[in-house]
Amino acid sequence: MTVLARTLAVARYLTADVARSQRFLLPLLAHGAVLAVLFGGDPGPPPGPWAASALAVYPAAAWLAVVVANTEAAEQRAVTIASAGGPSRVTAATLLVALVGGLVLAALSVLVPALVSRYPYPPPVLLAGALAHVACAATGTALGLLVARPVVARIGWSFCIGVAVVMVTAVQPWLPPVGSAVEALVSGGLPLVEAALGVGLVVAAGLVSWAREIRTT
Amino acid sequence: MGVRLAGVRKSYRRREVLAGIDLELAPGRPVVVVGGNGTGKSTLLRVAAGASAATAGSVTGRPGAVGFVPGRVPASTRMPARAYLWHMAAVHGTRHDPTALLDDLGFSGDLDAPVARLSTGNVQKILLAQALGCGAGLVVLDEPWSGLDAAAAAALDRLLVEAASTTALLVADHTGRAAALPGAAVFRIVAGVLAEAVDLPGAVHTVVELRCPGDPAELLRVLPGVRESWLGAGSLTVRVPVERGDGLLAAALARGCSVLAVRRDGARP
Repeated sequence: MTVLARTLAVARYLTADVARSQRFLLPLLAHGAVLAVLFGGDPGPPPGPWAASALAVYPAAAWLAVVVANTEAAEQRAVTIASAGGPSRVTAATLLVALVGGLVLAALSVLVPALVSRYPYPPPVLLAGALAHVACAATGTALGLLVARPVVARIGWSFCIGVAVVMVTAVQPWLPPVGSAVEALVSGGLPLVEAALGVGLVVAAGLVSWAREIRTT
Repeated sequence: MGVRLAGVRKSYRRREVLAGIDLELAPGRPVVVVGGNGTGKSTLLRVAAGASAATAGSVTGRPGAVGFVPGRVPASTRMPARAYLWHMAAVHGTRHDPTALLDDLGFSGDLDAPVARLSTGNVQKILLAQALGCGAGLVVLDEPWSGLDAAAAAALDRLLVEAASTTALLVADHTGRAAALPGAAVFRIVAGVLAEAVDLPGAVHTVVELRCPGDPAELLRVLPGVRESWLGAGSLTVRVPVERGDGLLAAALARGCSVLAVRRDGARP
């Protein structure tokens, strides 16, 4: 119980720190702009337009995860880890905040067209759209955690590696979870496996991050 | 109960900073690490605090929360001091209110201003409050007196005397204040391992000012008994226990140094 409470305490602290830094605004506004362009005019019936927004949420969630993972200065990170009794809670909290941030972006992408467009959005279509966006957002979160501190210390490299990975993986329709989730969405399937795989990737990225956390300092 | 470091080693790339540290930290026996810059004090403290993993060896018995003040003040804490302390107490998993300590330390800044906008001394007080005020079972402080004025430094002395009796305490300090804590064990790190710093509080020293040819770092390695050294413009000042004074002078002269001044130094403050 206290284990969970203290992890959540770190998560609250990180959220407050990220909120004050305002660095979360850039990925949020960038993604908002993409949604405005995609769904502003006549986007057409679902699930077609979601293919683009699901692909867009992938790098946006990665960016947000980098912001969350890099929010603390290195010296403060040491204080937080010592106070939390080790790196596990800090890594878990970082993962949690980044994942929730990515899921907020995913929720916006799913709900904005459903609310503003004149096309019907029956529940099965909404579910498929939500799963595809969860798959893409979670994969983005995993990627962001892998290219941010403590795995990749310098933001220039984070950017280069992140962009390269997104460019290569987003355009392969056969490649799970992002490519195949979008493919399943437009062909009327239910990308359940992809969503689960995305969340699995986040956990794996968290483990890598945890293993690196106190070894690089 | 107590925290045990056994055979702790730490390497960065290929450079070994800690080469087998054995140390026991327990309430009532504060451990003080003294010595020059770059000898590995901060590294040892980070490993003991759990903020850095040892390359080899083990740290056992570390409590679930450690109060830690790093050597360098965190660069950008955007949070107001009050919110920062509240969050840190929650991360420690305690109901203690660390802001109570701020009055003792003579905090004079605005608690609702971002930590980064406070003066160096006040930031140090915030860090000390979160480390000492959350009831942690182990407190690790890296140069805790840095940036504090005389009144705050004296207040910290009192707080540490109090804390040392109930919690395990590890301090890196070059001011000599920590060595005066009751029951303190004082060590230096020499070539990556702990060496007893034999000077008792109140020991008398000889301070010698030298002008020497060549690299002072190399010279310091061969001069016997040096406890502390300062590099000035064209001069090197060293402090040795009185009984080592003659040996030091002989060694310095043999290395081609000239003696600029010799004076007696009482107990360090």
